[in-house]
Amino acid sequence: MAELSVGLPLHVASHMSGGRDLWSEPLPGRPDDPEAAVWRALGEVLDPELPVSVTDLGLIYGVRVDGERVEVRLTFTATACPCMEFIEEDVRDRLLAEPWIAAVEIEQVWDPPWTSARISPAGRRALRGAGVSA
Amino acid sequence: MNAREFTPEVREALQRLILSLADTKRLLGIRYSDWLLGAPSIESGIATASMSQDEWGHARLLYAMLKDFGVDPVEVEHSRPPAEYCSASCLDEPFADWAGVVAGIVVVDGTLSLALEGFAAGAYDAARRRIPKMLAEEAFHRDFGQAWMRRISEGAEEGRQLLAAAVESMLPDAVTCLLPGDDEAELLAGAGVTVRPADARATLARRLAEPIAALRMEPAADPPLPADWMASRRRPTGEPAGDAVERARGDRNRALFVE
Repeated sequence: MAELSVGLPLHVASHMSGGRDLWSEPLPGRPDDPEAAVWRALGEVLDPELPVSVTDLGLIYGVRVDGERVEVRLTFTATACPCMEFIEEDVRDRLLAEPWIAAVEIEQVWDPPWTSARISPAGRRALRGAGVSA
Repeated sequence: MNAREFTPEVREALQRLILSLADTKRLLGIRYSDWLLGAPSIESGIATASMSQDEWGHARLLYAMLKDFGVDPVEVEHSRPPAEYCSASCLDEPFADWAGVVAGIVVVDGTLSLALEGFAAGAYDAARRRIPKMLAEEAFHRDFGQAWMRRISEGAEEGRQLLAAAVESMLPDAVTCLLPGDDEAELLAGAGVTVRPADARATLARRLAEPIAALRMEPAADPPLPADWMASRRRPTGEPAGDAVERARGDRNRALFVE
């Protein structure tokens, strides 16, 4: 059968919400640099609609680790983003998978407003691979 | 400044301003959503789908500001009767036709955005942080509305007359409700929360001058406060149609409520 000559991939890397089937195994204990570990973990959480992480999309505005508690400052691409609850749940679940994290607080932020300029070069490559120019 | 830093009088007025902006966005979203199907083109219907979702996203962010005043936004969004809504009166009934939709985008949405611009530039921190994102999204509404207005203005006479009539019927209500010239608006402007009503109205007149001229209409006079003005609801008496409020509150989905 001839291959489709459209720009869309025939499959995506993950079919599970937030890329759960691709998440790493949790760390065995508290890392030396907890904040960096949180950023790495968030880098595995994919947008529910596109195979690009929430960090590469530029949705994470800040991370703070206080003991076993993590605060995440999160924005969305649109005020009526239909995936807000999915994304928050995926972020929370990914972080709580780590045994050294006991609580996750997510603060929705809108300042500065998200624009496509916040997408990282890696995010742009991932989006192009999915047939989306950014 | 946060809500607690304002005087009690300003705080009360600020709360009413937020509710008026949020309710107007809620109703505007419903009125756009009536045209997801049945617009002049499928693409235009899709645009109204996006705009209606934007309006509800903005309404949600505005209602959430009420938490600063000790008010439960969920209660406000899902429990009030129509007689307590503070939405602009020109949205009480559905848009009659596509000319009404276009007038709604340019006149009502445009005036609402102008009110939000003044609020975002003011002293209230929550507005400064949240409204710029709304205004960025509103830029697409403005472009879409203006494109349609140009198209109709340059088209058949019947269409031009329909649009002119829709603009004429909505503009006074939109200006009165969204840029009211009452004592409370002056109080908010004096506290640095918004711009003075007269300045905002002058900006609106400049923005609408070209489309109004294209429709061969006379520039609109500054509308006075109507005799039945209710300062507590920032609108004249009356209320949005019951079916729209039932949708706004999500009456049929109470058993499935997830917030």
